[in-house]
Amino acid sequence: MTIARETILRLFLDVLETTERTITAPLTDQTVLLESGMDSLGFAILVARLDEELGCDPFTASKDPYYPKTFGEFVAFYEKHLGP
Amino acid sequence: MTLRQFLADCPPEATAIIGSRVRLCFQDLLTPPGTIRDAARHGAVALVLRCPQALARAIVGLDGIADRMLLLSHDTPPAMMAELLKTSGARAVLTDCAADIPAGIPIIVWNEAPQRTQPGEPAPKTTEWLLSTSGTTGTPKLVSHSLQSLTRTTRRDMGRGRLHRWGQLYNICRFAGLQVLLQGLLGGSTLILPNIEGPLESQLALLSAEGCTALSATPTLWRKILMQPGAEALSLTQVTLGGEIADAAILGALRHRFPHARLVHIYASTEAGAAFAVTDGLPGFPASFVEEAPGGICLRVENGLLLVHNGLVRPNYFGSTGVFASTEGFVATGDCVALKDGRYHFLGRADGCINVGGNKVMPEVVEHVLLAHPAVAFARVGAKASPITGSLITAEVVLRQGVGTPECIIKSIRNHCAERLERWQAPALIKVCADLPVSSGGKLARSRS
Repeated sequence: MTIARETILRLFLDVLETTERTITAPLTDQTVLLESGMDSLGFAILVARLDEELGCDPFTASKDPYYPKTFGEFVAFYEKHLGP
Repeated sequence: MTLRQFLADCPPEATAIIGSRVRLCFQDLLTPPGTIRDAARHGAVALVLRCPQALARAIVGLDGIADRMLLLSHDTPPAMMAELLKTSGARAVLTDCAADIPAGIPIIVWNEAPQRTQPGEPAPKTTEWLLSTSGTTGTPKLVSHSLQSLTRTTRRDMGRGRLHRWGQLYNICRFAGLQVLLQGLLGGSTLILPNIEGPLESQLALLSAEGCTALSATPTLWRKILMQPGAEALSLTQVTLGGEIADAAILGALRHRFPHARLVHIYASTEAGAAFAVTDGLPGFPASFVEEAPGGICLRVENGLLLVHNGLVRPNYFGSTGVFASTEGFVATGDCVALKDGRYHFLGRADGCINVGGNKVMPEVVEHVLLAHPAVAFARVGAKASPITGSLITAEVVLRQGVGTPECIIKSIRNHCAERLERWQAPALIKVCADLPVSSGGKLARSRS
């Protein structure tokens, strides 16, 4: 498991807990983000906390707007920006 | 009336001012040094005095004989000082730190030598007092006051005043510091003026050693005082808060620490002057103040913003066309309030509001929740740009000693916030830091965008 994936998984569950949301189904790469239980405020917090831990915010750094649809795409977006 | 006319009623031999090395009685204040008369000859005089005792003497000496006096803190940056001197129309500077004064204006060096001759006392005039705003939101501006406007809420009961020893933790050039100075003098009390450039510990040591009974500070400064070793020696019968929102936690802590003290929080600003005092020990102010405010001012709440009408203050900045009051004379304070259970509660500054995905968040509201957590000593809330919600709430906290590991505490703080705040109000990021910066006015330093 990459550092990006491990950190995202850990913080995803932590943010869900602190924003009083619950996960709707086990998290897989196919999970549709908007159906995961996380809302836009939760995603904003997740992106800010990932920026703090990984030192990277690909949504701000990226020139073209990108909207990942699934959890797998979200992780891949970070892995691409963080490099191997 | 001039300040000296008021002070003539005080016992001449009673101690008026105690500094770290000097004591002055009321008679000393009534016989000002010769340099004060030299300065007054210039009409409009700027006072840049680092020594608080000298500044107090100069203020007393110049009121009633100078046309105008500008109070400038000696640590004002040179370019800003030059600008303020120009705007004020000052013709000379009375100073004890001549090296800090920009070139191009006559300097009168402070000298304690008494007047050589006793000239006849000229008829007193009404001196205009110019105070600088703090300048936290840009270049400071000058507000014109009179002794009357500055002492509107001053208590002049000398019978009670004489029992007080007021401590001064503010810079006298600032509105709050001037209020303490004038309350001390006009109440016939003794003023204790520590060197406010020194550590808080030594300031409090002087206050305790000299038997300080009355003290005014910002809530931020009070939190520091309550945590300062040695502060337990203070025995106060008057505790005053001002300059920031007095929340339930700090009011409760002060009531607990000083159970017999008169606990007062003041609402004042350089522009609005001293507006009102709340003496029931509760946060906010009674809603009845809007119908009838104490002390002859008028209050209004429009769109959640507090407006103050103080007829004694000129409604425009000195030397500028900038107006800070409406045509009816109401000053828009920029402070947001909300009505709850018969009281208006202060929410925070309108210009500090953070927009989180369309929801407005007052940093002060979040700070007061953080400060109610037992492990949090100080808190500052700000914004972080977010590509998703525009902004997010961030918090910096200073933890009390011996409360546990930062990781455990942060989790506990997150839960504490989640239970008390809306989801968008709760800090997304919480950072533990060793200290938080405080402005020269004793307030939590903020950077406003």
